[in-house]
Formats: sequence, structure tokens, C-alpha cells
Amino acid sequence: MTANTYSVLNTRVHNVDGYAKVTGRATYTFDVKLPGMLYGKILRSPHPHARIISIDPTEALKLPGVKAVVTGKDTLGVKQGIWRRYPELCDEQILTIEKVRYIGEPVAAVAAITEEIAEQALDLIDVLYEVLPFVDDPMEAIKKEAPMIHEGVERNVNVTRHIEWGDVEEAFEEAEYVREDWFKLGGQAHMCMETRATVASYTSDKKLTVYTSTQSPYYHQALLAGVLGLRESDIRVIAHYVGGGFGGKFELDASQFCASVLSMKLSKPVKIVFTREEDFIATKRRTPMFYYVRTGVKKDGTFCAREARVFTNGGAYTGMGATALYLTGFFHSFPYKWKAYRYDGYRVYTNSLPSSSMRGFGAPQAMFCSEQQIDWIAADLGLDMIEIRRKNAHTTGYEVPGQATIGSCGLGQCLDRIEEWIKARGTLPKNRAIGISAAGFMTGGIFNWFDSPYSFSSAVVTINYDGVVELHVGAQDIGQGSNTTLAMICAEALGVKLENIKVHSGDTDHCPADLGAWGSRQTLMAGNAVKMAAEDAKKQLLEFASAKFGYNIIYDLDIKDNWVHNVARPERGMHYADLVKEALRGKDGQRIIGRGHYTPHRKGMISPAYSYMVQAVEAEIDAETGKLSIIHCTTAHDCGQPINTLGLIGQLEGAASMAVGYGCLENMPVEDGKVMNPNLVDYKIIRAPNMPECEIIEIDTFEPEGPYGAKEAGEGLTNPTAAALGNAIFHATGLQMKQAPIMPEMIVNAFKEKKKEGGTP
Amino acid sequence: MEKQLLRFNVNDQEYELFINPKTLLVEALRDHLGFAGTKRGCDTASCGVCTVMVNGMAVKGCSVLAVQVNGMNITTVEGLEKDGKLDPVQAAFLDEGAYQCGFCTSGMIMSARAFLNETPAPKDAMEIRRGIEGNLCRCTGYNSIVRAIDAVAKGKYREGA
Amino acid sequence: MSLKCPVCGKLKKDPVDCARHMFGTGDKPHKAWFETQGLSYIDLLLSQATEPGNKAYIEVGELIARTQQG
Repeated sequence: MTANTYSVLNTRVHNVDGYAKVTGRATYTFDVKLPGMLYGKILRSPHPHARIISIDPTEALKLPGVKAVVTGKDTLGVKQGIWRRYPELCDEQILTIEKVRYIGEPVAAVAAITEEIAEQALDLIDVLYEVLPFVDDPMEAIKKEAPMIHEGVERNVNVTRHIEWGDVEEAFEEAEYVREDWFKLGGQAHMCMETRATVASYTSDKKLTVYTSTQSPYYHQALLAGVLGLRESDIRVIAHYVGGGFGGKFELDASQFCASVLSMKLSKPVKIVFTREEDFIATKRRTPMFYYVRTGVKKDGTFCAREARVFTNGGAYTGMGATALYLTGFFHSFPYKWKAYRYDGYRVYTNSLPSSSMRGFGAPQAMFCSEQQIDWIAADLGLDMIEIRRKNAHTTGYEVPGQATIGSCGLGQCLDRIEEWIKARGTLPKNRAIGISAAGFMTGGIFNWFDSPYSFSSAVVTINYDGVVELHVGAQDIGQGSNTTLAMICAEALGVKLENIKVHSGDTDHCPADLGAWGSRQTLMAGNAVKMAAEDAKKQLLEFASAKFGYNIIYDLDIKDNWVHNVARPERGMHYADLVKEALRGKDGQRIIGRGHYTPHRKGMISPAYSYMVQAVEAEIDAETGKLSIIHCTTAHDCGQPINTLGLIGQLEGAASMAVGYGCLENMPVEDGKVMNPNLVDYKIIRAPNMPECEIIEIDTFEPEGPYGAKEAGEGLTNPTAAALGNAIFHATGLQMKQAPIMPEMIVNAFKEKKKEGGTP
Repeated sequence: MEKQLLRFNVNDQEYELFINPKTLLVEALRDHLGFAGTKRGCDTASCGVCTVMVNGMAVKGCSVLAVQVNGMNITTVEGLEKDGKLDPVQAAFLDEGAYQCGFCTSGMIMSARAFLNETPAPKDAMEIRRGIEGNLCRCTGYNSIVRAIDAVAKGKYREGA
Repeated sequence: MSLKCPVCGKLKKDPVDCARHMFGTGDKPHKAWFETQGLSYIDLLLSQATEPGNKAYIEVGELIARTQQG
């Protein structure tokens, strides 16, 4: 790794929110209490598909302590969705009026003086349903005779996506070896430690304050304005601390909507916190998919053509599902050069909980199929698993035809370093092997499907008398450490020490709009905005220094480590804090304010920049029980310039824990529209004793689009693990696992099948 | 249901509450005494975010009725800091970045503190991992937490170290 | 046996390959051909993409072969 030329970047620092978090002082929406606050509970549909004939709240309203019951008829009935630019994809009423489309869908909400009374009231609301035939399997939902889930949506085909370049048929004809495989990918629950939670407080001056566990205060401000008929600026969204998001908390959810509707009716604060069960059954999850992949290569391993067909289980509503459908097809080509590529994706409505975005956004599913098939092709042709990847790897400047131009790309180095690491591991015991997976991921998306009029990211830097910097950003810290990362960028750009920076985020009344924490966008987009704001402030400060010093015009001034100096003669200068005081007086007592913003322009179809990685997972398989032990996880990782050192390690290890879950633990069976394991006993999250040691090998690149050359880290890292695990199983046992998560019984059955076919057990 | 008198010590302070006997310990701490550092995350005593110490033992605050700890000493995360000085476990968590969203952190720190009180010299990393097995974390992947606990065990935060 | 695509006339090396071509192009004229045969493009596509074995290709290939022979 090259020597660190920066003062603040890539150093081990305490997270700026750390003190609050380790002393129990951090206040989450879960903790918010307001005077006169009522507690809300949601009545949910027990049926996967039914018409609502009537809802009678009379008995519930009689219960002492119950203050209000609302249904969809008490709302504007707006069909909303996060893809605001495309009304046909805004298909969800949240408090549904005419019919329910999944088990758990909200039909009414109660506010009462205690949570217990609100819960009792639910049983007293009389709902008359006309049960309709339901369909919870996309394969059945697409048939002509299947029940229509949304009016006018033929065959329940919600969205289709197509990506193509080159002449696919010709390229297949050129191929010397062709392989096709079919895969089934499961869903996954975000399982944030803090469930969905909101405290909404409407006051009779027509202002609404909403404390909520969100990845994007701005999105929720705008979405609530749309469904409540309020002016956006009359809504204040506050999210000082958020207990995890992972892609599940930037769409409008029932806690925000129902709490707001109840509060508007009563002009009192209403708190709704989902139980863990509600969080499992009635929020949007990772999209389950069927994947068909056909790949043609030359005998020497050169990739020629790939054709993929994907059907996704969209569940009852669209949400971010349209994006997941596109990205899975896009990243299924990553990170390799294909002469010809064709992807067709179909998203199918079903009567089950909606599928949407979850860390990785369709890419973990895509890599599970692609990276395993590549290993199987290599094995079929007697080729080395690293060499086949090296031969076809993305390189800097490569144009993914019609889609993207690759900027910085450390993939080649990643492959080299993993190859070395594997060699150093030496021979492994029986039933244990190393599997690898390469991946590349977006660093923020370019598409404005939310139809925001604002810059994608903005930042304001204000310098106080004592040199402390008030940094206002709309970027949301959900645990990934964006407050710290942005403070570090600000400190570096301004030339001051990190302890000079105070970060303000999570409050739409005080912070500029920002699209929020999803799609791996904040380090690059908010980071660029912060850098611009800090440099603006520095420029203004240096005007005063230039006047003061009166150096010859050829000299430059700069600030570093709180020292304002002549770059050519750094020992000559003054303390930053002293300059600030002089500048303040020079500006008639007005603080220096720097402004910055960022919106990607003309950066291709997907993203301004791509991170790259190669991960090696060492796993041991118990042939009798099918149980997996994940021994080690090493990742060679290119995120351009690392900013937050501890944050990066945390992202790598955290992503691995979630992705291992997707690979072999977090089975989420849905039968007859019902989530079968909506609790933490039956839904298996990895625990400390099973977590492998993780190692990160940093690959140095510089991304011109990113602040100081930085790219994303943390979401891309969920892409390779399930695939690498599958490849470890393949190399240890010869089994080809085509379903994720890989459950022990699948391995046991696969062994049995192999024995039957005469293979060595 | 008739309310009951509960007398207990929380973070070195005596308290008296008159509460519904169905009240869980975590509810008494959060809703009656205002110690909001301890959280709740499930209804099956699975996640551990409600972990506190009862007479020095790590206990899930959701699995015990408040009246069951009558006369006992409770320590929550708020009680670890003494005279403005962080507990070594808290200092280690800061140094290792052993938290991200922070929602599991209070419970995790209490489990870590209780574990180290019982096992000041864990023989290996796996022993530490088992010590926090009851605490789920969705963000960190646990390894930074293990490093933090290990650093305390190895004496990095001893007075004068 | 080699077959001509009934829509665009492209020569494909065998019935399955011809069917694969018809599904693969996915353009309006090729999709429309399925309707003329009383078949559902989307049903067959779903079957091909989700069930190993390419039953849909085989069936459609056989159909094309029959129509071109007879």
C-alpha cells in the first residue's frame, strides 16, 4: 500500500457518534417519548388475497383508552411508490382500501393510551373480507388462469427489463464450449436490530414532525407530503440515530404512514414500533429469483456470449423492485468483458410480502449464479479458476457497451493477491476447500427515478469563531459511519483536525436534501459535496490569509493540520484558529460559509464509478450432516482511496456476516403466502461463534469521480460471499449447489444424488 | 392486577417502584426509570439487546419480571461510566470501532463486561465468541467486538497501562 | 436437421437451436409467431427459464420441424 499522504484520510479514528453509542446515550426512534404521546398498532390482513367488504371499528372505539381507529377511507387513498417518475409503478396504498394482496398488509390502525390497549383494540375491529383465490408462486402467477393481483396488469407481469449488446447468436456460434444452468435464489430479511419505528406528531398549525428509523429523511419527507396532502416543507423528519437499514428503510412503510394519519386525526403524537414478527412479515425483503444462465466460451477460457433469463418473485407491490430487476441483470455481466450479452428480466406480482432492495440490490443473486458457473466451466475445461477470470476481467477504460465506462479498476491486482493468498494457505484437509468469487459494484446510481428537483447530495460548512466547523449534510448515518467519513473528508479538504468538525445530519429542518443512504452512494456523492463545500470555505479563508501575508503572487497558500501556510515555505504561516478570528472580523462578524453539491451528469446508465473485489472463502463441509463451517474469509478489495479505516474493516466484516447468512443460513420459506419463520429463533442469523476470521487486502487505485479517489465499500462486499461459499463446496466435494441459501439438507441430498449416479461419495 | 412494590438498586442508586407485576425488567428500567440505553429487539428472548447485569450476571431484561429482582443490584450501560471515566470495555469498543448502528451495543457491552468479570483471562478467541453468543449484531460481524474484548483481557486498559 | 426460422428465415442447425433463436430474439414479430400457433410466449419462456431441461425448446422445436416438413 502506498504511504498515506493525507492527514486525516485512512487513519484509525473514533467514530464521531461513538461516545453516544457506547454510553447508551444515543436516542433512536425506538426511544422517543413525547408529552401526551399515544401508542399505535396496526390491524393486518390474515388473507393473502381478499376484497375488503367492510371495516367496523365500533367495538374497538368503545374500549376505554382507545382514541381513534383509521382505515384507508380516512386517507387520500394515494397509490404511492418510490419510483415517483413512473406512476404505473406507484401501486401501494399502505392502508389499502379495496383489497388486500398479502398476509400482513395493513387494513386499519388504532391509537390508544397504552400499547397494550391498542393491541386489545385490534381484536375488536370487525373486518369483513371476501376471500379471493391467491397465488404466491411466480410460476403460477404468470399463468393465464392465475388471479389478477393488480387491475390491468396482465399475467401479473409487473416490470420487464432487457439488456443486450453484441450479436448473441453469432457469439454463441463462435464459442467452443457452452454450458447452461438453472438456479433458484431465496429472499432475505433485512433484520435490522431496530425494527421499523415512527413517532409522528401533527400539530394544529398544520405542521407534522416525524421521528423515524430511516435511511433517507428527505425521501420520507417528500413521500409523506405526497400521501398526506401536506406541503413538503411543513413536514420535519428527524432521524438522529438509526438502528440499521440495509435497504429496507428508505421506502414509505406502515409505521410512518399510519402514525402520521392517526396523529393528523388526533393532533397528538402517535408512536408505532413494529414487533419483530411484523418486521419479518410485513416489510419488503430481498427479491427471490429464478435464474437461467447460458454461457459460451472458447476452450482457452475466453468469454464469448452469455444469455440470462430471470423471473423474480415481486410480491404484492413494486417498491424498489424495478431497480433490483435491472441491477441483477447488469451485475450478472460483472466483472467481465463479454463479446455479446443478453439479459431478460421479468418481475411477477404474487400474493406474498413485497420484494425490494436489500444490500447488494440483486447482485448477490447474480453472482451466485455467474461465479459458480464460471468455476464449473473452468473445471469442465481443465482451466485454472483464477486464470479464467484474469483473462476476461474488466480493466480501466473498458466500455460496457451502452451501459457504463469503467474508471478505476483494481480487479487484476485483486486476482493476483488472492492467488498468492490461496497458494500460501497450502494443502487443506479433506472436505475443506477455498472457493472464490469476483465482483464489481456501483458507487451510487445516476437515475433520478424519485424525480427529485434537488441536487443528489448537498453540504454546508460554517466556521465558528473558535475554528469549529458546523458541517450540515443530508446524508444519513445508519451505522455505516457516514457522519465520520464525511467529517474526515471535510477535515482533510479544509486542512483541519478531525476534532474540529461537528456533523449535523438526520433532520430535514436543519440539513440540506440528500437522496440518502442506499445504492452505495454517500461516500462518493455526499463526499464530493462535502469536499466542494470545505474547499469553498477554505478558499474564502485563504483570501484573508493572502491579504494578510502579502506574498508574491506566484506563491500558494494552503491549510494542513490546522496550520495555514505558504506551500513553498510551510514553516511560514499562522494558526488556522487565528485566521478564522481575523476572517470573522473582516466579514463584519459573519461566519465563513462554504457550499457544495453533487449530481452525476453523463455518467452512463448506472453509476459514476465501480468498486471491485475478489473474495476467497475457506469452508469445511460435514458430509454426514451437510453442515458448513466457514473457516476464513479473505477479500482483496478495491474501493479506491479508503477514507474511514475502521469503518472499512467494519463494512467488510459486517457485509460478510450478512452475505454468509444469504449463502447458508437465512432460509425464509413462504408457504401459501405466509412467512413460516418470522422470529429470531427460527430465522437463523449468524452468531459470534460461527463468524469466520476475515482479512482485507487493500488494493490501491484512484477513482477520478470520487472524493480523493474514493469509491464505495460495504454493499459490493455482500456480492461475492454466497458464490464463493458455493465454489468452496464444489472444490471440496464436487457438488454443484444451484439454490441459495444452501441448507444442510440440500447438501445431504446432493451427496445422495451423486452416490446414486455412481459418483464417489 | 394489583400493583406491587419493587425495591432495587440500579447503577448504585436505590429505587422504589409501584408497578404491575407483569412488568418486565427491561420495561421497568426503560419506561419507569428512564434508562433508555437498554433496548428491545424481539419477543423471543433471542437477540440480547436488552442485556443488563443482575447481581453481576448477564441477564436478558426481557426474560425476567421486574419483581423477580427485588432487592438485587442491577447495572445498565448507563452505570458503567464512573465519575466521567469510561469503563475499559467502553473505551475498547471506541478504539476498535466495535459498533456501527449501535442498537445492539448497550446489550453487547453488558455481556462483554459480565463475561470479562467472570473470565478475565479467556484462553482463546472462541471463548470470547461464546461469551457473546447470546447477543445478535447485524452490522459488525462480531469480529471487531471480539478484538475489543480481547484488548481489555490482555490488559490494554489497565490503570497505568 | 437444420431448420429455417419461420419468422426471419435464419438457418439454424437443429430444431432446439431454432426454438432457442425464436425465444432469444424476443422481438415483436418472433413473439407474435407464438400467438399464431396458439401458444403463450410468456408461459413457455417461464417454463424454459425455471425448469431445467429446456422442455419448451424441445416442444417448440418439434412444432417448427413439423410445420416445415408437412
